[in-house]
Amino acid sequence: MEETPAVMIGKALRTVIQRGNIAKAVDSLPVEINELGYDPWGLHPDRAKLYFALASLFYRYFRPVVHGIENIPDGRVLLVGNHSGQLPFDGLVVTMACLLTGTPPRLPRPMVERWFAVLPYINIVFSRAGAVLGDPINCRNLLEAENAILVFPEGVKGSGKTWKHRYQLAPFGRGFMRLALQTNTPIVPVAIIGGEESIISVYDFKPLARLLKTPYAPIPPHLFLVGPLAFWPLPVRFHIYFGKPMTFTGPFDDEDEVIDRKVEEVTDRLQAMIDAGRAKRRSVFR
Amino acid sequence: MVGASLAEDGFRIVGVDYRKVEHPPDYVEAVYRANYNKTLIEDIFRRHRPTHVLHLGRVGNLKEQIGKRFDLNVLGSRKVMDLSLKYGAGRLVVLSTFHIYGAHPRNHIPIYEDEPLRAGTEFPQIADAIQFDNQALTWLHRHRALPTVLLRPCHVVGPHINNTISRFLRLPVIPVPMGFSPMTQFIHERDIVAAIVGATKGEASGVFNVAGQSPIPWLEAVALTGARVVPVPSSLGALALRASTRVSSAFPPYMINFFKFPCVISDVAFREAFSWRPRVTDREAIVSTVRGY
Repeated sequence: MEETPAVMIGKALRTVIQRGNIAKAVDSLPVEINELGYDPWGLHPDRAKLYFALASLFYRYFRPVVHGIENIPDGRVLLVGNHSGQLPFDGLVVTMACLLTGTPPRLPRPMVERWFAVLPYINIVFSRAGAVLGDPINCRNLLEAENAILVFPEGVKGSGKTWKHRYQLAPFGRGFMRLALQTNTPIVPVAIIGGEESIISVYDFKPLARLLKTPYAPIPPHLFLVGPLAFWPLPVRFHIYFGKPMTFTGPFDDEDEVIDRKVEEVTDRLQAMIDAGRAKRRSVFR
Repeated sequence: MVGASLAEDGFRIVGVDYRKVEHPPDYVEAVYRANYNKTLIEDIFRRHRPTHVLHLGRVGNLKEQIGKRFDLNVLGSRKVMDLSLKYGAGRLVVLSTFHIYGAHPRNHIPIYEDEPLRAGTEFPQIADAIQFDNQALTWLHRHRALPTVLLRPCHVVGPHINNTISRFLRLPVIPVPMGFSPMTQFIHERDIVAAIVGATKGEASGVFNVAGQSPIPWLEAVALTGARVVPVPSSLGALALRASTRVSSAFPPYMINFFKFPCVISDVAFREAFSWRPRVTDREAIVSTVRGY
């Protein structure tokens, strides 16, 4: 076969898939697929291997240090993380950490923002790799099928944070807690350190966001020096802390005030983990 | 095909269509051309006193004027249901469609029977289909004396099917929206026939989704046809479809959303209520639709 750039990239990715144990990890996942290899949400494990190989390049780029992966219990679990970094590299790093360092490997299904579904091509890549539209019924169905779900209850308020609000949790929604109660699912808080420094935003240019129909339009401080390269993530080191599982009991349709108190327990725990993780970090690059 | 299957089971079949039926099949005892909302339909009920009424003739063709579709689908259906009750039918089956849920970027997977019908928000042309369904739903709750089954099947395909989706899959060149491939469900003609027959002979009543084996991406379905695939920017495709409906009925514009966003339904309730399972694989369903056997 002619050694075109596409062929060379394909070969390189296949090598990454094999060497990085991605194939072995994906093959060991308990996914129910149909005769054409898809699950009902569009996950295609064989194609996902290719996307995970690409994702693993970023995973290596960020050189994450993973703590407490053993805290993820078997079966259904909600991984609740702090969101940051403008682009969803935090989700990518946590997903790859569970896949590559989990024993056994787990594939947390990331719940993605609703606007991903209307992005051409990206919606296909995300579905084939296991991402699912962030919707309570999708989430409930996946939990009842004993999946791990990765959620960022801050939503776009978290990912679009500007520098002055870094590592301060935006208010959490109540949906994840109601789902945990309804499906009797443990919650594992996940503190992600490094995301805030990967793509720094000093200002959210809202008129541009409205024009582009995006949730926010980040302005990196060095945008005027390096142009679009400012959106390339900095080679910071990620530290991922998986906390001990938290279990909650009570009716899922309880009053908002009651649910808010339970949500607060999770945000308090997560904020404490973030603060401790940052205190231990010697440099954003080490 | 439903008639043939029921005839084999000993039912006597009377057919009614609002269009002319050129060659009625042998198993049919009588065939009438009658608008469902006109007086002749009552004569047919009076003469034959049907024990089971299968209302399968919803008009989905947008070539028909909205006024006529409303008359046939809404007023006509109301009349068929009222007459079924008046003349003592023992069971009523109404065939609706999953199109009324609408394909939408916010759709979760799967969609259950009690969920909102989004289709009308973007395509008001489908209002008659939504009202057809809603009316049957209200009717079945009000008239418990006549057990009624309302079916909402996914895309029905097969060698003998001549609906929009089957004709589209048979094209030699298939345009697809660039950058989208939503999970899509198909049910083969043999399976939908078995489902309708099961609903006719069964005991449960209510509203039920009916789907095939399992959802597959739209581009996989197109690939199975062997057609040449032409990706088209979806805005251009939508514009072309809206323009084309002014001169032809070939393709309802709302269908483009079914090639961009998912509309995956759950038929668990139907499977449990009627002990029914689809037998035909997705691959066979698509391939047989294109090959014609």
